[in-house]
Amino acid sequence: MEEQQSVVEVRDLVQKFFLKPVLNGVSLRLSPGECMGIFGLRGSGKTSLLHILAGVDRFTSGTVEVLGCNISKSQRFKQAIGLVTQEPSLFQDLSVLENLDFIAALKNVRQDGIERVTAQLELKDYLRHQVTALDFGLYQRLSLACALLNSPRLLIIDELIKDIDLYSRHLIIKQLKPFLQSGGACICGFSNMEMADIFDQVGWLENGQLEILAPLQAHEKWNNLVNSYKKPGDPEND
Amino acid sequence: MTNLNLKIMRRELCYMWRDRGLRNILMFGPLLGLLLFLAIYNAQNIKDIPTAIVDLDRSSSSREISEKICNAENLKVVTYPTSYQELEGQIQRGEIIVGVVIPENFARDVALHRHTQVLLIIDASNTAYATNASTAVLGVTRTISAEAGIKTLMSKGMDPAQAKDTYLAVDFKEEGWFNPTLNYVYFLVLAMALNFWQQCCTIAASINVIGETGVKSWLQIRAIGFSKFRLFFNKSLIHIMVFMAMIIPVYIIAFGVFKLPLACGFGPMLFFTLLFAIALHSLGTLMSSAANNAMDSTRFGMMVALPSFVLSGYTWPIEAMPGFLQPVVWIFPQTWFFQGFNYLTFKNPGWDFMASYFWALIIIALVCYSLATLITAWMER
Repeated sequence: MEEQQSVVEVRDLVQKFFLKPVLNGVSLRLSPGECMGIFGLRGSGKTSLLHILAGVDRFTSGTVEVLGCNISKSQRFKQAIGLVTQEPSLFQDLSVLENLDFIAALKNVRQDGIERVTAQLELKDYLRHQVTALDFGLYQRLSLACALLNSPRLLIIDELIKDIDLYSRHLIIKQLKPFLQSGGACICGFSNMEMADIFDQVGWLENGQLEILAPLQAHEKWNNLVNSYKKPGDPEND
Repeated sequence: MTNLNLKIMRRELCYMWRDRGLRNILMFGPLLGLLLFLAIYNAQNIKDIPTAIVDLDRSSSSREISEKICNAENLKVVTYPTSYQELEGQIQRGEIIVGVVIPENFARDVALHRHTQVLLIIDASNTAYATNASTAVLGVTRTISAEAGIKTLMSKGMDPAQAKDTYLAVDFKEEGWFNPTLNYVYFLVLAMALNFWQQCCTIAASINVIGETGVKSWLQIRAIGFSKFRLFFNKSLIHIMVFMAMIIPVYIIAFGVFKLPLACGFGPMLFFTLLFAIALHSLGTLMSSAANNAMDSTRFGMMVALPSFVLSGYTWPIEAMPGFLQPVVWIFPQTWFFQGFNYLTFKNPGWDFMASYFWALIIIALVCYSLATLITAWMER
């Protein structure tokens, strides 16, 4: 059987900041319908990796292909991706509706696209609100809505459901399922191992290297890591 | 409580010190301002005021007058037009500030002790220049006039001391052109309003690029892959439209209600202002492309916008500024605009002369926008 074309194909990716390698020979592959979590502690390079995949940051060396497009040579792939950043990156001076409208215009999406994502992420009651006044859960719902406006084939998400209310978390995860079932792929940065179960595979990013694990293996590795710091008699052992 | 206050003050002092841009402005800003304005206003009198003499008599007496004017302390005779019309054109183009017209039969009238009149024309469109020119001219004309009168009386046998106190045989008629009453309202009010406007515009334009690339929403633009040229073109367009929307009511009130002089008409003035708004915006855009953050960019904008009016030579002639400063001031669009504005409002010297002012603003805009594009592209890498 012919191998399915990958959505993301990264080979020997190196990213250096002031000569210090942040990503040091990272390789990964993501197929349609797959959801990969990139796990790493603060400063491990998750955001760098995701921004490179989104074509936001340049990289030092290696090959990155997104939707069959070498991202060093072409930006065509950007028409078919959606990005949710870790830090709030919507237009702070605009309202919810104005953000949706403006980003839809930038993405060349029609009005019905706005109505679709507004319904999907239950934003109808907040359209007139300023984004600066939204609580974090709602803000992330809006961020995802903006990312989904152009019906992307690849969603790149950085810490989407960290520290948000349970309803928003439920709603966001609910939206990811049909997205993946329809052939979309998702790569998502996270730093809380409790979330590992929602991914098909987990990329463990440490010291610039990426190790691909099953969610169960990731849990095990995490527990081993936590336990390695424990000493007999520590209060947390109880 | 006192301790707490001290801690707050110490923290604020640390902040002010560690913010390099703010520290430099606070430490060196007033000093630089002092040095700059000292340099500009160092010449207490305006020297070498460009002067033209039209000698329609070409006699030894008229040559004597010419010579005295040539030797006058602050006047510099740069040209000898052959006709009044030629002189008129030179004044209109700002090539000369003082014009002297010695009439035909001047020598004969003096010899016959007839009353004769030498015409003195002073370009009064720049009040500071006109006041200095007037003082310089008066010094010469009084001497010439008195000498001529004394000679006349002495030839009639009068005692020299007595003759000195008597009438003046040669009359110098002084005419101030374009703003004959040296009205400061005509000269300064709109210019000051325009200065305020250009400062606001420069500061607003100075966050054009960094106001976009320096905030997190820039990630959205980059991730979408939206054309940066298209984005900044549209942003710039609306900036310039707002700048013009700010100034049009000012023009309507100044020219329509207060009837300030406008020799060139509303259309050319508006077009010239539009080009200036574009040039100003390009300068702000250039600063914003090179700045690390919006705060620094606004500071750059302030540092350019605040002294630019004084440097423009509108209130104090560029020719009276130190030599090293004279070529530098022409880098700023404000200089071209305020100089051109003076010509257009008071003189309207025609397209042939004004074309260079219009083109200068266009060239400044092209250079600044091109540099801003290159810097932005380089920063993105």
